[in-house]
Amino acid sequence: MKTKNKAMIVIFLAPAVFLYTMVFLYPTIRTVIMSFFKVEGVTDAVSTWKFNGMGNFKTLFNTPLFVSALQNIGLIWLVGGIGVMLVSLLFGVILTSGVHGKSFFRSVIYLPNVISAVAMGTMWINYVYNPDFGLINSTLKGLGFKNAAAQWTGPELVFWSMLIAYCFGMVGYHMLIWMSGIERIPTDFYEAATIEGANVFQRFSKITLPLLKGVCRTNIVLWTVSTMAFFVWSQLFSPVNLSASTVTPMSYMYELVFGASSSAITDARFRCGRGNRRDPDHGGHCGVYVYAAHCPA
Amino acid sequence: MKKKLFSLMAIVLTCAMVLGGCGGAAQSAAPAPAASGAASKSDAKSDVTITYYSMWNETEPQGQTIAQAVDAFKEKTGITVDVNWQGRDIRKTLQPALDAGQDIDLFDEDVERVNGTWGKYLLNVEDLAAKSYDTTNGKPLTDVINKKLVDLARSLGPDGKLSTIPYQPSTFLVMYNKDIFKTAGITAVPKTWEEWLAACAKIKAAGKTPITVDDAYMASLFGYHMARLIGKDKTLAMVTNKKIDDPAVLTFGEQWKEMYDKGYISKNAAGNIYPAGQQEVASGNVAMYLNGTWLPNEIKNSAPADFNWGSFAYPAVGKGGDGPEANQYGAQCFGINKNTKHAEEAFKFIVFMTTGEWDNKLAADSIGVPMANDATWPKQLTDAKAVLDATTTRYPWAVGMENEADINAKIKTNFALLVSGKLDAKGFADAMKK
Repeated sequence: MKTKNKAMIVIFLAPAVFLYTMVFLYPTIRTVIMSFFKVEGVTDAVSTWKFNGMGNFKTLFNTPLFVSALQNIGLIWLVGGIGVMLVSLLFGVILTSGVHGKSFFRSVIYLPNVISAVAMGTMWINYVYNPDFGLINSTLKGLGFKNAAAQWTGPELVFWSMLIAYCFGMVGYHMLIWMSGIERIPTDFYEAATIEGANVFQRFSKITLPLLKGVCRTNIVLWTVSTMAFFVWSQLFSPVNLSASTVTPMSYMYELVFGASSSAITDARFRCGRGNRRDPDHGGHCGVYVYAAHCPA
Repeated sequence: MKKKLFSLMAIVLTCAMVLGGCGGAAQSAAPAPAASGAASKSDAKSDVTITYYSMWNETEPQGQTIAQAVDAFKEKTGITVDVNWQGRDIRKTLQPALDAGQDIDLFDEDVERVNGTWGKYLLNVEDLAAKSYDTTNGKPLTDVINKKLVDLARSLGPDGKLSTIPYQPSTFLVMYNKDIFKTAGITAVPKTWEEWLAACAKIKAAGKTPITVDDAYMASLFGYHMARLIGKDKTLAMVTNKKIDDPAVLTFGEQWKEMYDKGYISKNAAGNIYPAGQQEVASGNVAMYLNGTWLPNEIKNSAPADFNWGSFAYPAVGKGGDGPEANQYGAQCFGINKNTKHAEEAFKFIVFMTTGEWDNKLAADSIGVPMANDATWPKQLTDAKAVLDATTTRYPWAVGMENEADINAKIKTNFALLVSGKLDAKGFADAMKK
C-alpha cells in the first residue's frame, strides 16, 4: 500500500512539479545567475554571457532613477498601505454593522476591481485630474477656491495623484477580505458586550480588532504582493518614458529589458529613429529585487 | 530521499539551462542572393509562401493597407505573404522567435532598432537593391527611393552594408496650425529665436496659446534647443559624459523661463501626460508643437477634418549651434532574415511596398511620407518635405536625450518645474547639473 501510494504521489505531482520547475524555478534561477553577467539580450545563449561580478548591482544602486523607484515603491507600500487598510477596514465595519443596502454598497465599492486598470487610469487622468475640466479643479472652482486648483499631474503632485488613483481601486478588494473576517466573528460576543454596556468603539477595539489579526496579516501579504508588482499605473501616469516621480522597479526593469520606452500598453504609435539601448542584465537584477521583495510576503 | 530529489532537480535545471542557452546557436548559413546587375524575374508566377512578422496591428491604417497590398501582391506574383501581426510587441517577440529558428522571412520595425538590436539576423541586401523591378522603371531600387534614407539605413547597417529597406519615413520638426498663424498675421515661419518670440507674441495677442508640450516630448524639446545653442556634438557629449552642465543650459533656462513668463507656453504643459499635449493642438487652442510628421495621423480622429497643417524646422537659436538644416529623421524598415530560403520573393514584396501604387497608398492612408522619389506627399506634410530635403545634418532621436533614462527623467521633472514657474533659470541649470 505504501509503495503504491508513492507511485501515485509521483504520478500526480510530476506534471505540476515539472511545470513549476520549467516555468517558474528555472527562469528565476537563470535570472539570478544572469544578474552577475553582462548580457545583451534576454534570450542570448549562455555562451555569450560575460561575467561581471557585482558590477550590475553596483551600477543599479548608483542609478538615481532606480533609487527613485525604490523610494516610490516604499512610499506606495507604506503610505498607500496604511490608507487602503484604514479606509477598507472602515468600509468593512460599516457594511457589516447592519446598514441598509449592504450588497449594493459592497458591489459599488468593489466595482473598480472589475474595470481594467487602463480604463481606470484614463478616467482618472482625463476626467478627474485634468486642469481645465477635471472633477477636482471644476469642483474647487465651483466652490470658489480658484487658487486651490492645481496641476495634479505636474511633477510635484503626480506621485500622490497616481497613488490615490491606485488606492481607490484597491479599497474594495481589501474591504471584502475584512468583511469576510468580521462576519466570521460570532455575534454572541457583540451581544454579550452590548448587554455589559460596551459602546460601538469599545466593541470595535476590544472584539473586532483583536479577532481580525489573522485577516490583517492576509491583507498585508496581499497588499505587499500587489504593490511590489506595481507597473500598470506607473505606465499610465508616464506612458512613453520614465519619470522620476512615477517610476517603480517593475517599470524600470521593463524599460531596461525591452529597450527605450517601448511601453506597449498605451503607446500605440510608432517612434522613429530613437535610441534603442537595452540593458537586460540590470533588468535581470531588477527582477531579482522584485522577486526578493516578494519572498518575505 | 531529500538529497536524491535535490540532485534530480539540479540535473533538470542544468539540462534546461544548457538546452535553453544553446537553442538558438545552431543556425545554418544563409543562401547568398543572386549576383547583381540583372533585372529580377517577375513575370513567372510563384507559389512560394513567405512569412512576415509585422510591427503593425491589422486594425491600424498601416496594417489595413499592408493587408490589402498582400492580396494584390499574391494576385500579381502568386507569392503568398503570411502576415503575423505582432504590433509593437514585436520588440519582445521577434528575437526569441528568430533564436528558436522559427520560419520568418521578413520583419520590420524602426530603422535603428532593426539594424542595431537585430543586426545579426539581417541579410545583406546590397545586391538585391541594385536590381531593377517592374515598378522601378528599369532602374535599381536604390535609385528610385529616398536616397537620404537609404544612406541612413546603410550607415546603420551591419558593417556599413545596406541590410534593410526603409519605408514610412518621418522627420521631427515644429508642426503648427496654419489657420492660427494666419489669424495672428504671421506671414513667414520663424527662422531665428527673435522671429520665434515675435510669432509667439502675435499668437498670444490673437488669443491663442503659442506652444505646448507633454511629458513624452520634453526631452526632445530640450535636446533640439540645446543643439541649436551649442551644436549636435556638444549636446551629445553631455549625454555621453552623463553631465548636463554646459553653460548654455542656463541660457536654455532663461529662454524658456521667458516663454513661461510671457504666457507663450500652455499653462497645462507641466502636467500634460501624453497625449494631452497633442490634444491641445487638435482642439485648435494651441498653435505649435515640436513633433514628428506622424502627428496628423495620430490626432486625425480628434482634430477637425480640415485642420490646416503646416510645419517648419525648429529655428536657429544661438551662434554656436545648428540651424534649421539639422533635424532628426528616421523611418521604419524591412529586414530579411539571413536564414531565409526566399530572399528574392521577400525582397519583391519590399519593392512592391516601397514603390508605385502601394507606396502612395500606404502614405495616403496613414497620412505618412512615401518612399519613392516620384511619389506625392500628403498635403498635410508638404512643408515637411521641404524641411527633409533641406536637412544636411541628422540628429539622433531627441538629440540623445532619451538614450539615458536618468537624463530623460531629470529633464522631464526640471523642465516641468521651469514652465510652471516653480524653478528659475539658475535653479533649472543647477538641478540639471546634479
